[in-house]
Amino acid sequence: MPYANDVNNDLFLNRMIFNAMANSTHRTRAEGLGLRDAALIRCAQTFDHSRRLKPAAQGRAKIFPALDCLRWLNPVVGLVCLAVLVVWGPGASSVAAADTLASDVAGVTQAVPGGVLEALLFYLVAGTTVISSLGVCIAKNIVRMAVWLFVALGSVALLYLLLAANFLGAIQLLVYSGGTLVLLIFGIMLTSKSPWVRFEPHRLELLGAAVICGALLVGLCAALTGTTWHGMEEVMPGTSVAALGRRLLTVYLVPFEVAGVLLMIVMVGAAHLARQEK
Amino acid sequence: MATISLNHYLIVGAVLFCTGLFTMMTKRNAIGILIGVELVLNSVNVNLIAFDRYLGPNRMDGQLMALFVIVLAAAEAALAVGICINLYKNVATVDVDRATSLRG
Amino acid sequence: MGEHFYEILLALGVLSPMVSFWILVFAGPKLGKPTAGWTAVVLGMGVPLALATWVLISWWWGEDSVSRAALTENAFRFHWADIGSVPITLGVKLDSLTVAMYFMVTFVAFWIFVFSIGYMSGHSDEVDGQSKYSRFFAYLSLFAFSMLGLVISSNLLFLFIFWELVGLCSYLLIGFYFDKAYASAAAIKAFVTNRVGDFGFLIGLMLVFYQLGTLDLDQAAAVFAEQAATGSGIFSSDFSLFGWSLATVMGVGLFCGAMGKSAQFPLHVWLPDAMAGPTPVSALIHAATMVAAGVYLVARVFRLMTPDALMFIALIGCLTLTLMALVAIVQVDIKKCLAYSTLSQLGYMIFGLGCGAWIAALFHLMTHAFFKAMLFLCSGQVIEGCHHEQDMRKMGGLRKKMPVTCWTFFVGVLAISGAGIAGTTIGLGGFFSKDEILAVAYVRAFEWDDAGKHEVHDGDAAHALGSTHPVTGVRLVSDPVQNAHGGFARAEARGAANAHGEDTQHVGHDDSARASIFGTIPALPKWMFYLALFTAYVTPFYMMRCWWMTFMGKPRDENVYRHAHESKLMYVPLAVLAVGTLLASYFLFRPLIADAATAATAAPLVLALDGHEHTAAIGAAHRFLTFGVGGAFIIAFLAAIAIYRRGLETPERIRRALAPLHLVLVHKYFFDEVYDVIWVKGCLLLAKVARFIDTWIVDSIFDMLAAATERIAAFSGLILDKHGVDGVVNGVARSSTDFAGFIRRWQTGRIRHYVIFATGVATVVFLWIWLAGASNADAAVVSAGM
Repeated sequence: MPYANDVNNDLFLNRMIFNAMANSTHRTRAEGLGLRDAALIRCAQTFDHSRRLKPAAQGRAKIFPALDCLRWLNPVVGLVCLAVLVVWGPGASSVAAADTLASDVAGVTQAVPGGVLEALLFYLVAGTTVISSLGVCIAKNIVRMAVWLFVALGSVALLYLLLAANFLGAIQLLVYSGGTLVLLIFGIMLTSKSPWVRFEPHRLELLGAAVICGALLVGLCAALTGTTWHGMEEVMPGTSVAALGRRLLTVYLVPFEVAGVLLMIVMVGAAHLARQEK
Repeated sequence: MATISLNHYLIVGAVLFCTGLFTMMTKRNAIGILIGVELVLNSVNVNLIAFDRYLGPNRMDGQLMALFVIVLAAAEAALAVGICINLYKNVATVDVDRATSLRG
Repeated sequence: MGEHFYEILLALGVLSPMVSFWILVFAGPKLGKPTAGWTAVVLGMGVPLALATWVLISWWWGEDSVSRAALTENAFRFHWADIGSVPITLGVKLDSLTVAMYFMVTFVAFWIFVFSIGYMSGHSDEVDGQSKYSRFFAYLSLFAFSMLGLVISSNLLFLFIFWELVGLCSYLLIGFYFDKAYASAAAIKAFVTNRVGDFGFLIGLMLVFYQLGTLDLDQAAAVFAEQAATGSGIFSSDFSLFGWSLATVMGVGLFCGAMGKSAQFPLHVWLPDAMAGPTPVSALIHAATMVAAGVYLVARVFRLMTPDALMFIALIGCLTLTLMALVAIVQVDIKKCLAYSTLSQLGYMIFGLGCGAWIAALFHLMTHAFFKAMLFLCSGQVIEGCHHEQDMRKMGGLRKKMPVTCWTFFVGVLAISGAGIAGTTIGLGGFFSKDEILAVAYVRAFEWDDAGKHEVHDGDAAHALGSTHPVTGVRLVSDPVQNAHGGFARAEARGAANAHGEDTQHVGHDDSARASIFGTIPALPKWMFYLALFTAYVTPFYMMRCWWMTFMGKPRDENVYRHAHESKLMYVPLAVLAVGTLLASYFLFRPLIADAATAATAAPLVLALDGHEHTAAIGAAHRFLTFGVGGAFIIAFLAAIAIYRRGLETPERIRRALAPLHLVLVHKYFFDEVYDVIWVKGCLLLAKVARFIDTWIVDSIFDMLAAATERIAAFSGLILDKHGVDGVVNGVARSSTDFAGFIRRWQTGRIRHYVIFATGVATVVFLWIWLAGASNADAAVVSAGM
């Protein structure tokens, strides 16, 4: 919607749009209307669409039809990956071993499944991550962004499992996908009753952002591939949750407590921010 | 290509980071910006855990750092959503370009 | 029995009230009026009482002294965390004192809980249309949790946490009628006063933490003894405050907490006001258990006390017990009268600890808990029966209307007065515990030289131990406690000590060893003993006065008398506690505490009536005191009856005769007034002074400067500004406006732009560093540059 900016900057028009929404929500594109009027109606329709969660507006899905196909595939792929990871993944034997081994100080020795299976899993999960994160930044509808973010977070959790960080993977699913994302979606729902659900930046901004991010990505990748990391001769075995917890409550006790205090403060602050004004 | 090295994970992290930044740069919806921030934080976590796995010999520091990042991210999201809702109450929109009452 | 059997039972008993608390917090209002109360009774106190009884029986009759010592040694400790290099352990302090305290608290609290159901049922307790009934029991449950946790804590840190929790409960319950201004004021007063004491407690804790390197009670005591022996650590410090060494400051600091919680002399002001809470609360928290927590704390940290600190403790206790007993004489409010008597008795306990009468002081704590709880419940019965009339001048003659209350109250009066038949073993609570404190104080005051040795008169000793001298010797030698358990316990204690490879008597009571650790242990000033002895006469007087004014004589207020009635549900707790008072005097607690004392004898100074070489001297003192103290109650009772027999005319005449003294006592030595002047008014005065300085000095200086500046400005403005400066300034201003306009274009106020700028710059810098570093082909630089 190239004219969204024009509309946004005009307070008088804001009121007009509200009126238009109230009066002619379902009016289809009428002939003979001026450009401005057409804009009003488009706005109203957009609003209507987003409110009723109708299928995507035209012109959006056409750009990346493949992404939309993947959208349905992703949960399936994610579930399959999760199952494979939990059963045969690098963290699996450490979970089993942690149950049997009393000693958890030195971690648990286990073989990382090298070779094809790990590589296959990695490329699958990493691909999902990359595609869904691209989906987040390309999507224009905020709800779609949230859906893509959900996929991205889930696949990052799978990455953690691949990295034998089982606990972190679980936490990622619980806290991020389960908590933070729901919070975001509630935020979206509570704030979506607005005629400008889609706001679009200037093309110039888009261009600048793309250039900068591209340069950064290229630079980072180049820097990474050109770096030799010391101490990566052997892959460390996975750590058990017990060892993690022990370390959290001994060495990291103070940050742990501070985080607790912070969470309490945040809870109070969030409740204060979101409370109803009397 | 068959063995997955540290760099593989770091590149995924880099992609997440850049897409997160891009999201922050191009979204005008306050919650969209928040989503970008979450992506960036996730990229950091991927890096931390990857370093922990490949470089930190059983220290678990990376994993614990990631744990704290997750906690802080949740806290930050809660506050940010609260702020967004307040913004919405005050200016009837979550378009950050319209929240200009403090602008000089 | 499995490992840590006792610890598990005790811990379960602590957790059960917590469950009750949460149930009542969330479901309390739904449970309704009697159910919520019974929930608290069963879950909050019934379960702990059952567990405590189980523990007590299997601990005392199921274990011998050796296995008890082993259990104490191997009590449950959980390494929870480290602060720096100091490990924080969470555990149960398991010894006979814990078991005794735990049983006492649960037993007394259980019956007070039961009493509360009757007491609260008739209350109009609605605030904003919501019943506070369940809230009351929720608070009581929380208190039970905290108090039991306090009793079993093996670590000073956790002890402090529970300490603060009981303080919180006290605050909440004093302010239970928070819609009444006096109640909330009293709550705040209690809380603030306790903070003053806790400040000292915290300082003491920090010193323990810093100097002894552990917060575990046993470990701290061991480290302390070792440092004292070698003169290292806390004893190597040159620090001195009022002539106190650092170790003394630590002890006094810890004692400060007890001063706040047990309402000792300068911090006692909150306890009488705390009677604004419901009467069961006064009985439970402000008479029987929580205020005794201070005494318990001092007993627990007794091994960390230096002679100077103990002397300070004795001084504070002595002042408290005397001054408060005198105030109690003139009180007309029945609860206030009991409150001051509580203060005085707490003073006795603290004084006893300061003297070294460790066993006697704790024994007094136990007996006092029983009879004071009962006295308060009786007063609650009276107040409830008389439609919230608390003024004793309007009562009188109530014995006909409330006979059960009257006679259970009388049992309490006898117990607190130390009534007994001198020379025999027939007596009630105070007869044994208070007299033992006084006997120890006597030895410390009169038969003690500065080298820390008492002068044992060989003849006396032989006499006391061996003789069957008809009257005087009998009471000591045939002390019921000794008959029942004392000798047994003593023999066992020796066995336990030998099992540990050390001789208890040698460690604890060898005077030369003690002298080498602490130098000299000074004798107690004689006036302290005389004051304590004098108060032993005052106590029965005011208690008899209180009882007589309430129940005897003729009714003085027709209205009150007509309404007076007894509540059936409240009979039972009164009767049980009266029986408990009788039993507790004799059979149980003295040997239990004496058993715990074998561990506490590692402290520099524990004197006790039985089992040790001090017996002879103390026995002699006891013989001497038996008639002096044991008979005190008769004299004082007679005096009180003589004065109050004919109503209020005689006291009124006496009051007029002693008007100035009466004034001082009625105003409680003007403590509240003095505190008001010093702290409240002092703060206001300071504010006023500051304001005066601000208004008249600071402001006027600035006014003057401003005026001068104005003049100069007016002058310069005309001449210089218009022509010379303005031109330059305008030029600068214009150029800066232009510059700002240029900058402003970048400051769009849009967050995206800032992100873009920041990221762009960071990207450029990164690429630059990387490209520069890539030429060096040094991976480390790259990763550092990132």
